Amino acid sequence: MTGKTMTNTTSTRRGANAALLAFFGAVAIGGPALAQNSARDAGAEAFVQAKAQRVITVLANKSMSDAQKTQVFHQAVDELADVPRITNFVLGKYARTITPEQRARFTPVFRTYAENVYQSRIDDYRGEQLKVVGSVVNKPGDVTVKTVISGGQITQPLPVSWRVLGGGQTWKVVDVQFKGIWLAITQQQDFVSTIDNAGGNIDVLINQLQKGGSAPSGRRK
Amino acid sequence: MNDQDNGLRRRATGRRIAAMGLAVAASLAMFAPALAREQGVQGQSVGTTANVEAANDPLEGFNRGSFKLGMGLDHVILAPIAHGYMAVTPRVVRNRVSSAVYNLGEPNTVMNMVLQGKPKRAMRSTTRFVVNSTFGVLGLFDVAAKMNLPRRGADFGQTFGKWGAKPGAYLYVPLMGPLNVRDGVGRALDFVTDPVSLYVGGLSTDFGKARTGVTIVDLRSNTDPAFQALKDAADPYVTTRSAYTQYREAFVRDATGDAEVLPDFDAPPPEAPPQDASPATPKP
Repeated sequence: MTGKTMTNTTSTRRGANAALLAFFGAVAIGGPALAQNSARDAGAEAFVQAKAQRVITVLANKSMSDAQKTQVFHQAVDELADVPRITNFVLGKYARTITPEQRARFTPVFRTYAENVYQSRIDDYRGEQLKVVGSVVNKPGDVTVKTVISGGQITQPLPVSWRVLGGGQTWKVVDVQFKGIWLAITQQQDFVSTIDNAGGNIDVLINQLQKGGSAPSGRRK
Repeated sequence: MNDQDNGLRRRATGRRIAAMGLAVAASLAMFAPALAREQGVQGQSVGTTANVEAANDPLEGFNRGSFKLGMGLDHVILAPIAHGYMAVTPRVVRNRVSSAVYNLGEPNTVMNMVLQGKPKRAMRSTTRFVVNSTFGVLGLFDVAAKMNLPRRGADFGQTFGKWGAKPGAYLYVPLMGPLNVRDGVGRALDFVTDPVSLYVGGLSTDFGKARTGVTIVDLRSNTDPAFQALKDAADPYVTTRSAYTQYREAFVRDATGDAEVLPDFDAPPPEAPPQDASPATPKP
């Protein structure tokens, strides 16, 4: 009886497979052709290749202590990233209403927080080589550079995108994307929600970041 | 003889009902997002793009409760198992296990690539499965990746997205993690139509039970950095929702070929409310 039931179930599921293949096959025939954006920016690509590779190399350096890596990363951040722009972006709608006094408190707190988070995310994968594989011009002066990180402890090449703003040979990173997830966009949603839930009080976010995110015992590392 | 005929008829009717049910589920996945969009609540707005528009989370109160429960269960059940596994198993062994788990998912990937109308991708993934299952010793070694056949995933959620289904309302299910309507229906279909479960053995077999157990431990250990990253978040619930939404939209874009549209970096979204010095009660 059990065997018969299992046979029935298997047949039913195979039938369902066939129905699904037919359903989507019919839709596929009428599927629209899709256009690809092929614009590239050589200057932005060269910037990411040089500056991001430097950061990756430092973080993968086995002869350096964690403290040394953090120190070098701290120094490299200003060369690589546009921290003031990121600081403004992550505040979302509250960038319009933050007071000068709150901004003066938020800026150094966010910088420390962001350095730790960005270093952790890049360090999570412990790759060694960064290779630019293309770029997309979102609009003039706003480019997404696509790279692949490999080597080290990475078993499958890891796609990482870098959003850079600028022009010519002068560029700065404003966001980094791992596995489809932009860090600054995620932080913006995180921070805005936190301020929303505090009735619009930005001080609550600043105090929370000073304590190290939501972890009860402070930030990890 | 009559009993046999009746049995065959019942089985045929069962198959038709199941097929119709799946077709209806597929249709619901297509149209539910439109309904959900109309009923969507205003979340925090960060831009006007597909992946970062106002969160569609009408069940936020319920979802926050589920998230809290899910993280609690993870803390006492899954995390200790995963951390124990990571502590006693060298990374090189864990990588082999991950490869074998991934390899068993390739037939489902191939099926979805066919459903998406991508025969070249389907051929590449088929080749990956054949090569890795044989020369790669049952998938333990990703030999195909070294033959310029890198991993490329596909599932029913992506297939629905390829044909225009929007994600729909966000859901958080304890121990299953973040979902949306489209991916929830997709995941159910991935489960019931998985070729390896159908032809080798599903949950009712020892193979299926072992496969499920290993898959859960492998998945939890592979996502451990994400769980660690949540400790940096001011609002872990929203961070999880944002990350999941972006991750899935990027996965769907991989099938559609659509370009990503990003928010203007220098223009803060409107609707900044006046500041209130007294903090409101946080949401549960």
